[in-house]
Amino acid sequence: MSAKNIFLKPGFVRAPLQNGVGRYVCQLQRIVLKFCKSNGSSRGLRDYIEQDLVDFAKENPGVVVYLKPRRHRGPVVVAEYLNGDRVWMNMHNKTHSEITKWIDVLRTQQGDNSTTRLRKYQYTDHPSIQGPWTPFTFKNPALNTAELPNQAYGANDRLPMSATEQLRLMFEAQKLGKNEELKTAE
Amino acid sequence: MSAAKRVQQWATFARTWHIFDCKWQDPYESANVIKKYLMGLHKPIYHPMNDCGDVVVCINSREIALRGDEWRKRAYFHHTGYPGGASWTLAWELHNKDPTMIIKKAVYRAMKGNLQRRHTMERLLIYPGETVPEDVLQNVTSQIRQNRLVPTRLDHIPEEVSKGYPKVMDYPEDYILK
Amino acid sequence: MALIRRCVPLITKIVRIHPTTVQTQKIHRWVSPTLMELKRREDKVGKRINPRNTYLEWNLEAELYGFGQRLNEEFDPDLLLQAFTDRSYVIKEEMKQKEMDFDIKMKDNRELAEKGDKFINAYIQNYLETVLPKFPMEGVKGVRNFLVSEDTLANISLNLGTKDIILAAEYPVDKYILATNFKAVVGALLESSGEERAAHFVRDFVITQLNGQDVNEYFSIEDPWSMLADIVKKAGGNLEPRLIGEVGRNTLLACYRVGLYVDKKMVSSGFGESVAIAKEMAAREALKKIFGTEDHMKPIDFKLEGIPKPASQTRYQISAS
Repeated sequence: MSAKNIFLKPGFVRAPLQNGVGRYVCQLQRIVLKFCKSNGSSRGLRDYIEQDLVDFAKENPGVVVYLKPRRHRGPVVVAEYLNGDRVWMNMHNKTHSEITKWIDVLRTQQGDNSTTRLRKYQYTDHPSIQGPWTPFTFKNPALNTAELPNQAYGANDRLPMSATEQLRLMFEAQKLGKNEELKTAE
Repeated sequence: MSAAKRVQQWATFARTWHIFDCKWQDPYESANVIKKYLMGLHKPIYHPMNDCGDVVVCINSREIALRGDEWRKRAYFHHTGYPGGASWTLAWELHNKDPTMIIKKAVYRAMKGNLQRRHTMERLLIYPGETVPEDVLQNVTSQIRQNRLVPTRLDHIPEEVSKGYPKVMDYPEDYILK
Repeated sequence: MALIRRCVPLITKIVRIHPTTVQTQKIHRWVSPTLMELKRREDKVGKRINPRNTYLEWNLEAELYGFGQRLNEEFDPDLLLQAFTDRSYVIKEEMKQKEMDFDIKMKDNRELAEKGDKFINAYIQNYLETVLPKFPMEGVKGVRNFLVSEDTLANISLNLGTKDIILAAEYPVDKYILATNFKAVVGALLESSGEERAAHFVRDFVITQLNGQDVNEYFSIEDPWSMLADIVKKAGGNLEPRLIGEVGRNTLLACYRVGLYVDKKMVSSGFGESVAIAKEMAAREALKKIFGTEDHMKPIDFKLEGIPKPASQTRYQISAS
């Protein structure tokens, strides 16, 4: 996050009106191209209108396109979205191909994206399927009835076996072996 | 927020009370363990900005064990703030004055010095002996495992048990015990 | 000292010629108070909003065509216009016409809205009964009431871009007008493209609002424990709550976990600030399991074709018990 973004409205990645769960609706509802018929700064926009605008309108019948020639004013594209956002974009001295790309950006975005700072790049309503962790999640149920403090739960149970303990076990095993021998002898 | 989500949140952030027996434990080793529980570092939900630390009750702090000759060598520094107010107290002296102090200072030292440290220390309860107030003990539902095995003193083992314990060899009859 | 005193005017002259501070744009002293006064007056009058349809670049016919195309639906243009005409607009126009002494009949959207409302209610009821087969009728009713509430429908309508197109006396339009307009659009679709298209329209825009929602929130159970006990009793089981976890009993942050056991097998568990609350939450969890609406339930199917017919009644009737 740079300092430029700190005053932006924070938000999450969300689809408006569960768009795409049912059917996809293009969020751009109307676009207004304002240009001058004679000024050189509108050259690119005029080219776009001459060559590509009809195709754009045919491909996107859901977008209402308005043309607004204005004398001696700069070229501007205003996009209006279903959620009420309005994006104003200056097209001064922009070339035909640049304008094509910008209008494609306006067509595909869902609103005025540049005014929100994304707090995260992902969002979920269900962060956990098994349910969030709680102190009870991996708890030993025997602790419920145990009387604490209790050396059985407090002693270190990860130490390697001591020599004394090893010796004791060997002694026990020896005793068992003797008994077995005795048993087999019988 | 629905009731189900409310109690879920309540449970996730519930504070567990742990008990820790300091008997025969190195306070500086134990402090690293206790610190994790106090700060909530043992939880998967840990984040420096969420308040998820647990409460730790330490008992038997009188019976801690320091390494080597640290009882004699380790000095605790204090300064009153006035000129000539500096004082150095040896570990054994401090332990005689207040048997809870060494473990408390060890835990305090184990944590990073930030604004949270003093509030986190409030959740550490230390008792010099076995006796813990009843209302504190009722809260305890979990026990922290010790680092070291508590040795049993020979004179605490009943004579029958020590007699019956297996021997590697017997001393020769003419062997002189010191 | 005398030297210094003599040098002072010289230094000030140099400073005047070569100013040491950075030059900034001169803003006159009157600008700030004037703007403040203008703002005060504007606040007093209230900000004037120009309705979008009073702009030069506005074509109602194109907007209505675009509305249908955007949603991928075939509307009868006259019916769509009627759906977008609010009663308040008709009244206003009639008053105007009376003054100017001519008469053009206009239709408002009340009829269409009524038709649409009836259809939406019936369809959503059927749909929910199909996708939530074990959920009780009261719960289905609660979910349906949420979906057909004025707030939900107004929000849908707003996000379909009807705000500017609606012909109403006021601007911006209020929630009631937006909701009525959405119902009327459904009514218009019903008349122009038939029931199935209208059903899919309602499914794609209204029922999908349940995506990511917990349906249990729309079903308020007064006493979950006795309800669960009744169900278990009918099934012939033995219900038993057990305290299976507690934390900080004597503190303000006490937390308990109660598990419900039927015939010594754990069915569900619930947390709570007290044992009673934990027990109630555990009962709610168990009920969710019975109703098939647990937290990890299979997501609601938003792709059912046609108008679904709910299967035979296997629901738990609460009113009977």
